[in-house]
This record gives sequence, structure tokens and C-alpha cells, in this order.
Amino acid sequence: MTHYDWGTGAIVTPEKKKKKAQIIPPQTDLKRRTVNFVKGFDINLSPQQLDELEQVVQRSTETFVRDIGKDLADCRKLVVAAISDNSKASTALENSSDLAYSVKALGGTFQYPLMTQIAKSLEIFVADRTTANMKQLLVIQLHIDSLYVILASRVTGFGTTVEQATVAALTKLAERYELPRE
Amino acid sequence: MSAKIDFSKISFLVVDGDKISAQVVFDTLSYLGATAVQRVRSPNDAFEVLRTQQIDIIVTEWRLRGMDGLEFLDVLRNSVNSPNRFIPVIMLTAHSEQRYVTTARDLGITEFLAKPFNAKALYSRLVSVITRPRHFVNTGTYFGPDRRRRQVAFDGPDRRSPDD
Repeated sequence: MTHYDWGTGAIVTPEKKKKKAQIIPPQTDLKRRTVNFVKGFDINLSPQQLDELEQVVQRSTETFVRDIGKDLADCRKLVVAAISDNSKASTALENSSDLAYSVKALGGTFQYPLMTQIAKSLEIFVADRTTANMKQLLVIQLHIDSLYVILASRVTGFGTTVEQATVAALTKLAERYELPRE
Repeated sequence: MSAKIDFSKISFLVVDGDKISAQVVFDTLSYLGATAVQRVRSPNDAFEVLRTQQIDIIVTEWRLRGMDGLEFLDVLRNSVNSPNRFIPVIMLTAHSEQRYVTTARDLGITEFLAKPFNAKALYSRLVSVITRPRHFVNTGTYFGPDRRRRQVAFDGPDRRSPDD
């Protein structure tokens, strides 16, 4: 309620009292049920245990190589088809976007960080596009071809200066043909 | 003797449309001893599971078909129809830029793990969720785990005290 402040001679409207935050205690049920000194995995894993766990992740490497290899080949066909018939561009873009995200997400996990780098460049290039002109489709095709070569040649790690120069060139190419974006 | 975690007593739900990614998480959890690990491809399927079964921890991707992982989290934390508003959620995603992390945090994510990930990073998020449960905070604009991770000395008024 507003009131007259005799000290300053002003009409004062009091600030609304803010609702205070409600603090709810942590739920400790999970901890109580699972943490013990007898059964299970150490909270702080030893380097050897971590290595074993990492090997479990790496079990899917062959599946990654096989499935992503097939997806790259399929996506390339769509992009090539769109280059000769632009009405197919939106399908090619959608497919490229999904593929770029998958490769970006998984490449590094399976020791292909170079693929993650190129996929990131592709993902940025195709983001929010519904159509693309011929030059832009060629840029996409180049990205896909590079990913395929890395996978087929099993270039793990970040590669040599040649591979790094290829990544930089692709990124630059994507920046050059970024517009129009529609 | 060091403390251990018995993963066989935890039920997990993995929400990921990517077959390989879901498989990697499934394999890791299985290796750790988890026997109750369900995989679904979409939030709608996840809600079906959550309404009918006891799930302790959700591991979800951000990029999903239909409703994305963020909307999924929003419904989980804020909807009156949510099966469990307090369930720990680990977001595992290739959307790793700072703005995504901040957005997920402000919608009540428990842990965030950027893809590509390794086994060590996933394990540390699991340990954090299980052994260091956080307070939940309910304000007019936020419901979720306390976003303050660091304990910094502060001599001002405590505006987060419960109502008297």
C-alpha cells in the first residue's frame, strides 16, 4: 500500500515482497541403497579399472565404422542427386544435418577426433538451411568425402599437418559459401 | 577399504535416437553391473516407461525426434503430470557450447556431459549423481537441483532460506 514518507516528503510504493525460494533436502535414497564397502565398483576407479571401462566403450568401434560408413555413402548419394535436381536439396540437407551431428558426437569417442572436427564444420554449414544452391551442395559433398576418406583410411587421432590443413580448408570453404542461408 | 557403488540396485533409462550412442551407454552401464537398463528413442516412449516402472536415473540426448531433450526435461521438472520431478537427469549431448550448458542447467539438469565422451567422464557423472545428491530449489522461475556448485563465503542476507 502506498504511503506518504514524512522524512523525504515523497509518496512511497513499497516493493512487493518476493516469494522466497523453497529449499528441498537432497534425496539420499539412491546413495543409501547403493553405496557400500563390499559389492560394486570403487567410487574412485584405479587407472586399470578406467582402462577396462574405456575398452567397453571401444567395443562399439567396429559398429561405428560400419554404420557411419554406410550412412556417409547413403548421404553422399542424396547430395549428388540434389546437385543434379535441386528439388531434392531439402532431403539431402536434412540427412546431412543428422549425419553431421552423429559423427560430431561419436567420432572422438572412437578415436576419430578429426571426423568430429569436420562434422562440426558441416553441422554449422547446414544448420537452419531448408535449401541449398549447387555450390553449397558441393561444399557438403566435400565434407562427406573427407569424412569417408578418414574413416576408410582409419586415420585415428588428429592426423598430420596435411589432415589438419584439410580441416582448415573445409572450414574456410564453408565460410566462403555460407550465404545465402535460406 | 574404499567405498563402492552397487550399480545392480539402480534402474536406468537411456533416451537416445542414435543407436550407437545408446549402445555405448548401455554397454558401459551393463559392465558396471546395472541389470535394469532400458533404452528408448523418444521422450514419448520415455514417459511411457516412467509412468509404469521405477526408474532411478535418466541419461538423455538433447537432439531427439519430436520433443527434444530440453522439452523433455522441462516437462519432467515442471509439469503437474510429471512422473517424477526429482529424478536425476544426465544430459549427454554433442550440443556442447556454453549457451547449451547454461540453458540445460537453468531447466534443471543434474549433470551435463558433452559428446564425444569417454568412459571416465561418464563414470564421474554417475558417481556425482549417486553420491552427491543436491538440494532441490523451488522458486517462481526455477525448479531443479541447486545450481550453486561452489561453496563461496557470503556475508549478505540469505534469500534462499525457507519461508519462516
